[in-house]
Order: sequence, then C-alpha cells, then structure tokens
Amino acid sequence: MKEHETLEQRLGEQGVSRRAFLKFCAALATMMALPPSSAGAIAAALSQAKRPSVIWLSFQECTGCTESLTRSHSPTLESLIFDMISLDYHHTLQAASGHAAEQARDEAMKAFYGKYLLLVDGSIPLKDGGVYSTIAGRTNLDMLEEAAKGAAAIVAVGSCAAFGGLPNAQPNPTGAVAVSDIVRDKPIVNISGCPPIPSVITGVLAHYLTFGELPALDELGRPKAFYGETIHDRCYRRPFYDQGKFAKTFDDEGARNGWCLYELGCKGPTTHNACATTKWNGGAGFPIEAGHGCIGCSEPKFWDAGSFYTPLSAPAADVAAVAQVSMIAGAGAAVAMGALDRAKKQKLQQSREKLTVADLKGD
Amino acid sequence: MSTSLQSGIASFIGQIDGPIASFFTSCVHCGLCADSCLFYTETQNPKYTPIYKLEPLRRVWQQEYTFWGKLMKKAGLSKPVSDEELAEWEPLVYDSCTLCGRCSLACPVGNDIVYMVRKMREGMVASGHAPEGLKGATQRAIELGSPMGVNINTLRAQIKHAEKETGLTVPMDVEGADYMMVLSSAEVAEYNDIIGAVTRIFHQAGVSWTIASDGFEGTNSGIQIGSSDLAAELLGRIVRAAERLKVKYVISPECGHAYTALRWEGPNLIGRPYPFKVIHIIELLDQLRSEGRLKTDSVDETRMTFHDPCQMVRRGGMVEQPRKLLNMVAPNFVEMPDPGLQNWCCGGGGGVSANERAQPLRIKAFNRKKAQLDATDATTIVSACSNCRTMLLDGLEHNHMPHEVVGLTELIAEHLADDKQGSAS
Repeated sequence: MKEHETLEQRLGEQGVSRRAFLKFCAALATMMALPPSSAGAIAAALSQAKRPSVIWLSFQECTGCTESLTRSHSPTLESLIFDMISLDYHHTLQAASGHAAEQARDEAMKAFYGKYLLLVDGSIPLKDGGVYSTIAGRTNLDMLEEAAKGAAAIVAVGSCAAFGGLPNAQPNPTGAVAVSDIVRDKPIVNISGCPPIPSVITGVLAHYLTFGELPALDELGRPKAFYGETIHDRCYRRPFYDQGKFAKTFDDEGARNGWCLYELGCKGPTTHNACATTKWNGGAGFPIEAGHGCIGCSEPKFWDAGSFYTPLSAPAADVAAVAQVSMIAGAGAAVAMGALDRAKKQKLQQSREKLTVADLKGD
Repeated sequence: MSTSLQSGIASFIGQIDGPIASFFTSCVHCGLCADSCLFYTETQNPKYTPIYKLEPLRRVWQQEYTFWGKLMKKAGLSKPVSDEELAEWEPLVYDSCTLCGRCSLACPVGNDIVYMVRKMREGMVASGHAPEGLKGATQRAIELGSPMGVNINTLRAQIKHAEKETGLTVPMDVEGADYMMVLSSAEVAEYNDIIGAVTRIFHQAGVSWTIASDGFEGTNSGIQIGSSDLAAELLGRIVRAAERLKVKYVISPECGHAYTALRWEGPNLIGRPYPFKVIHIIELLDQLRSEGRLKTDSVDETRMTFHDPCQMVRRGGMVEQPRKLLNMVAPNFVEMPDPGLQNWCCGGGGGVSANERAQPLRIKAFNRKKAQLDATDATTIVSACSNCRTMLLDGLEHNHMPHEVVGLTELIAEHLADDKQGSAS
C-alpha cells in the first residue's frame, strides 16, 4: 500500500490552485460557525495532514448517502472529500471486487489499526442472526464489530446508520438497529438525514483532520454546528408562519404565494438540520423552496411519525379508540367512586342527630 | 346528639358537596384571598389567610373524597384531624371571619371561600368548638326568642312609644296584609326609632303592612354559629307567622345575617319553597321611591358617607338602591374608598360581635374602616345594618373619632314630606 501523501500534494497533482483550497477552508469554517481566523488554521492543518485511511461500510441502505456525496453538483467542495481522505474500502466506489476488495479492507485495517476512520451507512439487521444483509458471506454485525475495534472514530452517515432509519420503521422485519446500538466504546458522530447534506460530511471530516477530534455533538450525537437549529428557525417562509398565513392545499392561492406549509404537514419546526441554510444541489434550493414541506428525515423515527401531510399539531397515531376506551373507563371509575362517596354521605346523614340547644350548653 | 370530634368529622363529611370539592381541587394557592381579608391586612399574620382557615375541612375532603387521600388514609400515611387541631382552628373560623365574602370576590379561580367557612362552622359546632359568646347568643335566641333577650313585651312597649310619637297605629297581626315587617334584636332594643320611621314611611306610601307578634325577630344566630338545625328553628318562626297572616312579602330588616338567613338560606334550611317573597327594607324603599310613593321635602347638609353592609352588597347586590335613596336627602354625600361591592366589613359580622373573645382582634381590624373614614371628610356615617351600626359606634369610640352613625331608613323618615296622602294602614 502506497504511503499516504499530504492533501496539498494531492490537490496540486489535480491542478487545484492554492486560492481555491483557501476558499474551501474559509467556507468550511463559516459553515461550522468557527471564527474567521480558523480558516487559516484549517488550511494549515489540511495542507500538512497525512490523508487518513477511511473504510466505508455500507449495510442495509439504498446507496442514497453515497449518491448524495458523489452526485453533488460538480465541481464542489464536497467532491474534495475524496482528496482529503484515502478511501481504502467502499464497495460501491472501488474498482476492485470480490476477494480483492475484501483484502483491501483487511490490509487497511491492519496497516492503520487504531487510526482509520470508519464511515458507515445503512442500518444493521439483528433478527435471525443478521442473515438479512451479508457481504462476502459475513453478516453486517460481524463486519461492523470487527471494523469498529481498530477505528479511531466512527461516522454514521445517514439516518439508517444514525437512528435505524427506514429499515427500522414499523414493523421492522429485519430487526434493524443503528450503529450506536452496537458499538458503545468508540466516539460516534451521527450525520443524519435521508440523505445527509454532503457538505456536512465534508465539514465533519475537515474538523477531525484540523483539530484531531470530533466536533461538539448534540444529545443525539449530531454535530451542533449543523443540527443546532431547526429547519423552521431558518426557513425563508417563517415570516408567513408568524403572520398566520398558511397554504391549505398544494394548489391554492397560499401555496402559489409561497406561504407557510405548516398545515400541509411540514415537519420543519421539529427537525434539526442545515437544509435551509446550506441548501442542496449547489445551493439551488431545499424541499420547502420546491413547495413541499419538510418530512423530518434527520430526526429519529421520522418514518413512523404519522403522515407527512398531517400538521404537527394533529396526533400522529389514531387516538380515537384509546380516547374512547379511557373515557369510558374514566367515567366508569368516576361513577363508581361517586357512588361510594354518596353512599358514605347518605349513611352519615341517616345516623345524624339534630343539634339542639342543649348541645350548646355542653359538658 | 352530643358534640364530639366524631360528630364534627361526620358533619364535615356530610357538608362537603360538589362545590366544595371543586373549590379545593381548583385552589392554586396564590394567596390573593389574604389581601382581601381585613384580619390579614390589619395584622399581616399569614394564619388569617382565608383559605388557611379551612385547612381541617380540606384535610377531611382529601382523606375522604380523593383517590390518593383515601389510599394514604388506608395506608395510615395521613394524620386524621384531631380535636386539638379543631380547638386551634376555632378562633380562625369564628373570631377572624365575619363571613363578609370579600375573599370569594377576590379568588381568581372563583372559589366561594365564605360558602366553605359557613359550611365548616357546621362541623365546628357539632364538634363542640364554637365560641362561648356565640353559644350564649344562640341559646337565648332559641329559648327566649332573641339573642339580646328582647321579647314580645319589649316590642309592645316600643310600639306604644312609636305610636305616641307618630300619632299613627302600628299594625299588629293583621291578616292579609301585603308586607310583614321583621325586625332585628338591636332595632327593638336600641335603634327603636326604626319602628316609628317605617310606620311613617309606609303610612305616606300607602303600604299595607303588619308586624307579627310571633315572628318579629329576624336575627339568626343559628346561621352565625353555623348550625342549620338551629337556624331552621329560628327561621321557622318567621315562616309560620307569615303563612298564618297570609302575607305576600316578608321585609328583611336592616340586619345583614337576618337578610342572608331569610333571603338566601331560608328555603334550603326549611326544605321547601316559601309561599311569599322576601324583600330587603332598602329594596322596598327604593321601589317606593321609583314609583313616586316616597317623598321627601328637606335635606341634610351634613357631609355623609355610606358604609355598605357586606351581606347587602356582596350577597344581595344592593349597591345602587341605598345611593339613590341618599341622593334624595344628602346633597353632600361622599363615597369612602372601596365603596360598594369591595367595601370593607365593620369587623363584627358573622357572629363576631357576639363573641367577646374576639373583641381585641375586631378592634384591630377596625383600623381598615378607620383608614377608609380618614380618607373622607364625612362626619356622618350612614349604614343599613343595625349590627354594622353597633360595631361602627364601638370602633369609633375606641379610636376617639367624632363621627355620627345613622340608619338609612330613619334618615329618610326624618325628611319625609308632610303631605300625607296614603290612608291604608
């Protein structure tokens, strides 16, 4: 295996100018809400950094996460991720196949033991011994456990790896779980989204290369710099929400005027992601700009949170039956307790004697 | 029955009804009722917070009527209400509450606190924890016919006096009269000018009225001590007399708790509707005024103010009537601060006046009335409750204040026009 060269050398080989590289570093610093001065630090660190070995494992997934990264508008900052890292194993992207591919993975794991980054997309099936997804005859669970041992850190790319995602949705026939459900002794960053924003993946890797540690995470293990605010907080349609102007159908006047999609089921208010600011497809837009509400894909269990077209304020599940039963039970209990109380009162009243003036004279 | 802790608790359990349960449930412990109570504002002692005065009743409600309370009681985790506790609460329930109802108006969640105090007194008297003074007054009311010990002979002497002074006949036991006048003890004993006053007013207005020799005493100590049994017995005398004389109306005297007993608690106490209607004397006078049957021909230039009796304003809503009447005779009338619905109690209602033990606290609470009076330049206080009048006089004397106190009906009678037009009597 070839000794990893520095990023600057690599970029030079590809004809990327130093100016373009500095612009990239400044953009990354801005995105992660770092002070402007850190752009220099990022540039210095990245240009000197040995490209780390990255092993990318794909489990129960749709390849959407990889597509998100590789099909992003070219040429972009995101594509540079492949210049920053040495992608030693990625079964969709690598040229090798069969035994050769698996051998590349084994060698990278041995050579960079304790230093490589492990990227995972897709969830891991546990049911029936994990037979629902295997690679080269090995279950995903087996492969993940083995690869996790030597990893410096793990990045769970996409909602499936981060929270279980679509395979985990009811009734979860394969017993799919997230990476964090299996690996507990390694730092894990969850880059959720279905798919996640490509520059978020790049940003996290750049942070790791620059500072040698993972960025600050929220309670769900997501980098705060990208998941700190909700779509709703940063949505360009927010002023209409504040004014109470809502589209009621997808083809009414409100929809044409670009009013808030809350009543059409937009999950923006409860969804933490950076879509509204970083946008998609080279800044072309994000779903709400296309006239469709946010479906909340970067939140756990988004697939089971009711219809995408039911307003947030409406109950997700069918509560009518539960409400009826509890109403009947509650009313029954109240009537029973009331009857007991009344009986107690009646008994006391029957045995009650009148107060007379003699009682006032007392003892 | 004999009074005991057991009968007291049993009475509490019996008294707790839907309203009380919902009041205790909805109390948000905001403490706003404290600032509405003159015993709290004048002492700043938190134990006089109105809702706190109900603590034993609240505990019984919790232990007997709530799910967790019952569970705690069964598990022996909650302390039952003890005799010592009731003894400790006796002064709070009787000495520091005049049943003025100001806290009920202040409560932001609409809890009728005074309703609960009235109900709690049922259990207090059943447990033997009622003040001696009030016990004595109630005993005299039942046995002698009046808490102040006046009887029919006293009344007859006063009537003779009034007839001599007015030259008119005071109708006694007239069957088929429209109105039956009821008096309060204090009116027979002390403020007896009222008899001559109503005689002259009714004569001028041509009102058909009478006094019943067997149902003239309106004061109801049973309500004050909190015994429905005794209150019903006292009230029954008036109801029977009214039914015997077949009157259409019974007139409540200028007496707060006589009015409450007759007008609001009455039918519930005796367990059936009245065959007559109850009207307060001030309501009747205002009605006569609006019909043009009440005429005055002179005014009193004195600076006057009006003390709203609690039961009249907060129970009966009579705010406009006394002011319209005063407008006829008092051109220099001024309001004191917090007039009408928010007026402060004289400090002696709800049986506090009959409770000697409460006197020092009552005089302290009078500071509130004093502050109200100091804020006006009035020299005469008009009221329409004989108990308020006594309490005002007492408070003024303790504070060396020079104000005069007069009753509204007497004041109107003093300025009655001379042209006698009515003939019926």
